[in-house]
Amino acid sequence: MIEEKKVKKVFVNGPISPVFVGESIAKHSTKQDIGAHSIFLGQVRNDIIDGNAVLAIDYSAYNEMAEEKFHEIREDAFQKYSLTCMHIYHSLGRVEAGEIGLFVFTSSIHREDAMEACAYIVERIKEQAPVWGREVFDDGRHVWKQNNFKETQ
Amino acid sequence: MAIKLLTFGQITEIIGQSESTVNAMDSDALKAQLIMQFPGLKDLQFAIAVNKYVINENTGLKDGDTVALLPPFSGG
Repeated sequence: MIEEKKVKKVFVNGPISPVFVGESIAKHSTKQDIGAHSIFLGQVRNDIIDGNAVLAIDYSAYNEMAEEKFHEIREDAFQKYSLTCMHIYHSLGRVEAGEIGLFVFTSSIHREDAMEACAYIVERIKEQAPVWGREVFDDGRHVWKQNNFKETQ
Repeated sequence: MAIKLLTFGQITEIIGQSESTVNAMDSDALKAQLIMQFPGLKDLQFAIAVNKYVINENTGLKDGDTVALLPPFSGG
């Protein structure tokens, strides 16, 4: 558990590949006390805004603050839930519609902890991580996305 | 008093640069000064972080502090 708590790198450049997600799952086959994994994958949606489709989201962040915030969210989740391990990956840069920009992966002995922790982490990220998505349209214009989130404790 | 000002997202588009040096006694004075200089900021909602911590009230600033203007988050 100690090993899981040190500051981990969350940001990856560009989209998170399905192969990477698969390999992450495979790596846990040696941890045989785990009985449940919960995974959240955030995919870029081709919203239509004022008649134009979103082609991609270009993510940027206040890196130093975001790394600290991700660390705090990780610590809080380990306090609140009984987790065997936890991984958070967030994209920076351009992620095309249909590609993955957020990957949250929690594992526990029984399913409740993994599932609840996963939802908790995703909500905290949406609400508190200093990350911005610039939605790029097919006509070259852009808007800055705004998150809807549930208040978390 | 040199304060490092960092901006992000839409605010960088209004100010024209993501990093600059400014002078201000406290966060309220800085905010007023920036709104006067960049009227486009007036209608924008943004949070202020001093040395990476989001503040909820007027905060005194000292030489070497880093102030970040944070528009609404949209990660994930």
